[in-house]
This record gives sequence, C-alpha cells and structure tokens, in this order.
Amino acid sequence: MIRKFVGAVAASLAVLAGLWLMIAPFALGTQPENADWTDPTLSEFFTGLGVAVVGLAGVISFAMALHEELVARGLVVVRPRVSEPEPEAVPSAPQASSAELATLLAPLVEALREDLNNTGEHRRNGKAPLVGVEENR
Amino acid sequence: MKAKVGVSALVLLFLGGLWLVAAPFAVGYQPRGAAYVDATVNDLWLGGSLAAVSFVALVIYAADALRELARRGKHAEN
Repeated sequence: MIRKFVGAVAASLAVLAGLWLMIAPFALGTQPENADWTDPTLSEFFTGLGVAVVGLAGVISFAMALHEELVARGLVVVRPRVSEPEPEAVPSAPQASSAELATLLAPLVEALREDLNNTGEHRRNGKAPLVGVEENR
Repeated sequence: MKAKVGVSALVLLFLGGLWLVAAPFAVGYQPRGAAYVDATVNDLWLGGSLAAVSFVALVIYAADALRELARRGKHAEN
C-alpha cells in the first residue's frame, strides 16, 4: 500500500513542477513582454503542460488504486448508492374555477356597492362606511 | 491495472525530467561556454528534481512489490 502512496505523492509533486514550468518564463522574465514566444518559453511551457497532465493522470490512478486496496482490506466501506424513489406527485387541491370564485366574491362585491351608495350615512351599528373613512380624513 | 497506469506515468515523468535537463542544450538556448542563463538553471534544477523524485518513487514501488512477492513465496512454502 505504501508504494501507491509514495507514487501518488511523487505524481502530485510532478503536477506542481509542471505548473511552475508553465509560468516560469513569465515569472523569471526570460520571455520578453509583447513579443512572440521564444524557444525557451515554448520548450518550458509545453514540457510543463505535459508533465502536469501526466502527473495528474498518475495522481488519479494511484489514488484510485489506493482506494481499491483499502476497500479490499475492509478499511474503507463503500456505501452502495441507494437510488432515492421519486417523490410521488401530490395531487394538488382542486382549484376553484373562475365561476366559483365569482360566486364566492359576489356577496362581498354587493356589500361594497351598498357601502358606496350609502356614503355619508351612518350604519346601523354606528360605524362609518368603509369607503367614507378614507375620504373624510 | 490502475497502479500500472500510475507506474507508466512515473516512467514518463522520469523521462520528462531527463528531457528538461537536456533541453537547454538540445533546443539551443544555452550558449556553449557561457554562464548558465536563468532558463537553463531553472530547467536543470526542475528536471533533475523531477527525474530524481520519480526514480525514487519507482524504486520504492519495485522494492515494495518485491517484498510482497517474497512474503507470498514464504507463505506458499509453509
């Protein structure tokens, strides 16, 4: 198991080295600004790219091999993915149709109309009409 | 299988390190007989380190694999 761990560490160091190689010409100033890439820049950049990609592949493969061995030894338990059942569609409450809504609101509309017609008069219970209150302020 | 891909990557990295050491002279951006330019110094250090690290990792991998092989052989004898 230790050999896979060592391999993963070495590969991750290689990834870092590759990334450094890609930026080194610009960081060290060997690449003149606003000029075409020079031979050292091209060489370092593409070598760094290759090193980084190969290193990343090495890290991934060593990490997967390590995980596989840990699972085989029983040190890591792989939880089986339980596919969650799709939530059943809750039947929505029957929506009132516009005709039912009109029937429901009809008394309210009627009351408002009466209230508007009786503007200025007191109601039987002594309260001011709803509309008149705002107008009298 | 996965470890084999990793070992192949280490071999490629070792070769890449060797290339980095040779690159300044192979590509020609290090003039002969002159003091090392910055790019050369960078490549030499990085290439040498990369080759060394990947070589050591390969050696450790091989040693551990051999040790496991020997242990299995010992168990088989018993």
